[in-house]
Amino acid sequence: MIRLSDVTYSYPRGTAPALSDLSLEIPAGQFCAVIGANGAGKTTLCATLAGFVPHFYRGDLSGDVTVAGINLPLSSPAEIAGTVGLVFSNPFNQITGARFSVREEVAFGLENMAVPVAEMESRIEEILRFVGLEGLADRSPFALSGGQQQRLAIASVLVMRPKVIVLDEPTSQLDPVGSREVFTVLRDLAAADDATVFLAEQKLEWVAAFADRVIVLHQGRLVADGLPAEILASPDLERYGLEPTRYTQAARAAQAAGLRHADAPLPVTLEQAVEFFS
Amino acid sequence: MSGRYGLYVERQTEIHRLHPLTKLVYVLACLLVGWLIPGAWSPYFVLLIGIVPVALAGGVLPQVFRNTVKTVAPFALSLFIIQGLFWTGGTVVQQLGPFSLKAEGLWFAVRGTGRILVAVSGFLFLNYTTRSDELMLALSQKGLPNSISYVVLSTIQIVPRFQQKANTILDAQRSRGLETEGSFLVRTRALLPMVLPLLLGSIVDIDERAIALEVRAFGRQGPRTSLLTLRDTAGQRGARWLMALAVVVVIGWRLWLWLAPRFAA
Repeated sequence: MIRLSDVTYSYPRGTAPALSDLSLEIPAGQFCAVIGANGAGKTTLCATLAGFVPHFYRGDLSGDVTVAGINLPLSSPAEIAGTVGLVFSNPFNQITGARFSVREEVAFGLENMAVPVAEMESRIEEILRFVGLEGLADRSPFALSGGQQQRLAIASVLVMRPKVIVLDEPTSQLDPVGSREVFTVLRDLAAADDATVFLAEQKLEWVAAFADRVIVLHQGRLVADGLPAEILASPDLERYGLEPTRYTQAARAAQAAGLRHADAPLPVTLEQAVEFFS
Repeated sequence: MSGRYGLYVERQTEIHRLHPLTKLVYVLACLLVGWLIPGAWSPYFVLLIGIVPVALAGGVLPQVFRNTVKTVAPFALSLFIIQGLFWTGGTVVQQLGPFSLKAEGLWFAVRGTGRILVAVSGFLFLNYTTRSDELMLALSQKGLPNSISYVVLSTIQIVPRFQQKANTILDAQRSRGLETEGSFLVRTRALLPMVLPLLLGSIVDIDERAIALEVRAFGRQGPRTSLLTLRDTAGQRGARWLMALAVVVVIGWRLWLWLAPRFAA
């Protein structure tokens, strides 16, 4: 579904490349999370997958980026829209402002795609139920909380039925309640087999809970790629400026104190931690 | 800009249910007719028989009245002062020390004020009884570019958030010891630390907003659909053509008034 080969990209006026020699293949239906310290290139990679690098940000891109059979660097954002959906951190900036209710805000993308009204209505209803906003359809998008606005942003993109949905730290500007609401949506998205999801996220416990695969970026390079359990419990994590989950930390402390066998696999989720300590 | 749809006042009236274009054409027709019919009092006549009844029927007469007066008063005052006192030539009606009040100037001011009154009250009426998104949709269907409709609608919604942001920045700077009250100089100096973060922050926001719009296929060419539907009737379509025709007739009459004496001569 997603294929990057030897992608190197530098922002205009950027000194070092933001992405270096990146190759990556993500099959359809996979939930892939990218982790990495601030400045590691997560946002740039998300922008690349959504076609805004190099179209919007300019700069130099070499290598191939193909998503759902579309060669992104050769296509315009208008051609890519509807195939790749992008959600980013700031919920407020993702609200168009040109529509006055939640329902109409979700409709915005469909209207631009000339979807017939009857189909639009059923798709909107379905997607609002999916993100848990069905009761707020007639509210003003600006009268919603941050978590609700972010779920609205996700719904507005999902309703266009993109082949791939890219989420760039969708909870980093939300309070704990809002983050939990958004993660509930992500969990449901992960449960849907047909959704190809690419998520950049700092909260490793959430990543561990529902990603099929985790990749690690460090200074624009792909440095690790594997299952959440192996990547997130890896001792290399700290080298890349990442802090392991508290489950892993507690388990390591237990091993260091001799309470647990040193060879036991480290937990990265609550369930694994319960098993580890029982 | 307090309500959700800008100035729109929600009421269940026939006027509210009219197609936005019908109301827009009506207001434009009033404006043009009031402008074109000769005589200083003609705009007031149009105001009285054109705007007041529909504002009343739409249940928004008090709002239209209040805000028209508030908007027009400063213009009217300056018109009367400037035109009344500084009209070159003309008949003096009253000597005020070194100044003389001229009849022609005063008539000009009466007429000018009337025209502004019709324009302001007409557009207030339109906006009080028409949701801005419906008006923009109606105009888009007639070929107005989507980007213009976007700018108008998002301005209505985003400007109040912009004000909130400005207040937050102001509070933040105050808490760091910035003086924002006092003499003109003090206040001017306080402007920069407030405006700069606001502007720079907004430039960053604009990038994100542009991306969010592209993701939603805003840049796509070709036909569009709309979840919002407008109710139009054959009667209203006919009425719009009739109003346009009336304006053409008035223009013709006016041209004839202007040209006939020249041909006669």
